[in-house]
Amino acid sequence: MRGLNHLLDADRIDPGAPAVGDGDRSVDYAQLADRAGRLSAALVDAGVGPGDRVGIHLRKSVESMVAVHAVLRAGAVYVPLDRAAPTDYVAGLMRDCGVAVAVSDASPGQLAELSTQTPLGVVVGPDAAGPGPRVVPWTAVAGYEPAPAVEVATDDPAYVIYTSGSTGRPKGIVHTHGSGLAYARLAAATYGLRPDDRMANVAPLHFDQSTFEVLAGPLAGSFVLVIPDPVLRFPASVTELIERERVTIWYSVPYLLLQLLRRGVLDQRDLSSLRWVLFGGEVFPPGLLAELMEQLPHARFSNVYGPAEVNQCTYYHLDEPPPADEPVPVGRAWDDTELVVVDDDDHPVGAGCEGELLVRSTTVMSGYWGQPEATEAAFRTLAGAASDGARWYATGDLVAERPDGDLVFLGRADHQVKVRGHRVELEAVESAMQELDGVSEAAAVVRGTEAIVALVVADGSLDADAVLASLRERLPSYAVPAQIVEVPRLPRTATAKIDRERTRELLVDRS
Amino acid sequence: MSVEADLLSFIETELAPSEPLDRDTDLLLTGLVDSLGVMRIVEWIERSQGIEVHPADVILENFRTVGAMADYVGRRRVSSG
Repeated sequence: MRGLNHLLDADRIDPGAPAVGDGDRSVDYAQLADRAGRLSAALVDAGVGPGDRVGIHLRKSVESMVAVHAVLRAGAVYVPLDRAAPTDYVAGLMRDCGVAVAVSDASPGQLAELSTQTPLGVVVGPDAAGPGPRVVPWTAVAGYEPAPAVEVATDDPAYVIYTSGSTGRPKGIVHTHGSGLAYARLAAATYGLRPDDRMANVAPLHFDQSTFEVLAGPLAGSFVLVIPDPVLRFPASVTELIERERVTIWYSVPYLLLQLLRRGVLDQRDLSSLRWVLFGGEVFPPGLLAELMEQLPHARFSNVYGPAEVNQCTYYHLDEPPPADEPVPVGRAWDDTELVVVDDDDHPVGAGCEGELLVRSTTVMSGYWGQPEATEAAFRTLAGAASDGARWYATGDLVAERPDGDLVFLGRADHQVKVRGHRVELEAVESAMQELDGVSEAAAVVRGTEAIVALVVADGSLDADAVLASLRERLPSYAVPAQIVEVPRLPRTATAKIDRERTRELLVDRS
Repeated sequence: MSVEADLLSFIETELAPSEPLDRDTDLLLTGLVDSLGVMRIVEWIERSQGIEVHPADVILENFRTVGAMADYVGRRRVSSG
């Protein structure tokens, strides 16, 4: 198998094995392949050809899994779009990579609005046709004969996942059939995924963590339990679902695991089916991780590390709760992956020294959609001994190697932060704020790992509620500041850059 | 006022829904209530209704709609009174 288009082929997986469910209903692999094949045929009939981008704008569900594999099977490129994001934001992404066909469960009103702002011409999903794009209802999809997989080359694009860019323009991370399949294979091997595994899909499709379940799940023939978004807001419901569905593998950001620890009534649940708990995307406070591990003694834990551009590149397995006073290492490279830690001049540093982490691997993206300059800037070639013309992906993460060979994450080389596991570039938040009426200058800082706070110098009188309302239309919800504080001037460094250290101190003084 | 009417007015004031809601509106599917919203509603119920909401009761079934929340409050009152 060379591409993700063949993941559901019947000669690979037991067709009668459970494939995907949402806690209420589930389908087996024969049904998943059948439904993906029919949707694939409908997409081709709607004009989708190899390499075309197809938007997936669905609530997390059995259908979203069907849609991903239908698009891959058609040799096309799936573009997950945040169903909860503002229409203007979604429209911007659709224009960026030219989405003309989408699978969506949005309202006819929102779809009409999207089609006026984007090339969107055909939507699979809603039963009622409205003004705007041509609609192919699911009932019509069922009338198609399942289409066979369209052949692809290893370096053909397979999916585009958007992340925020420092100028405010999001960057579409392009993964190919080769990089996606390499990731799925390494993930399945590293965590020993088996057909009897039951993986919880926690992350939405537009968050790269989801490829663990969506791609590696079918590769291993495991069952994927899609946890619906409403359930995720109730930790006690989530743990009840894990128990009832006998989930064996969980992967999420630490934030959601901390919710389970605080409000998931773990003492009233039997979660002994869990054999792996994976976390990544942000730092897990070691004391709280130890507390969680004591509550879930049957599970092995693993710290997953890797920017979305490389899928994953290191792992650190924990069999015992970690010491509370040291950060949990991001660990060491998994197979087919090379790492090097370099200084400001791209010279490798010695063990124990801080430097930027560079990665080369079969799992690395091909580039950013339509942004050759950003792609160029993301990769480096090294001089000296390590020089063989190879491209290294520069993570922008600062790390150091411990004497035992494990890497420890020390911080970001730029101003990207994580808010509840989502990547946010503070400059993007600031530039969005500076475009608003009444805002003269703005600085954004992250408070803990859960919220952004913005300092604003007003131009006249400031209506903080109006500023927040405008930002909600421009930014994904996790990037909207939780609080706006008006200040007479912003702390700046000698080079007139925002002094984030002093900005943070200013906020601490005020609280 | 009934618990239901109080809850509706609390949610309308505090969470500012873009569309009118009634006792059967699915608050979660619309994205109106996120996890912080759930916690605020729980705090409001505890404060205004004088009952303790057990963590194990903070589940989807009890909070999907205003009607479900009012039914839950009613059950808790009976069991504690």
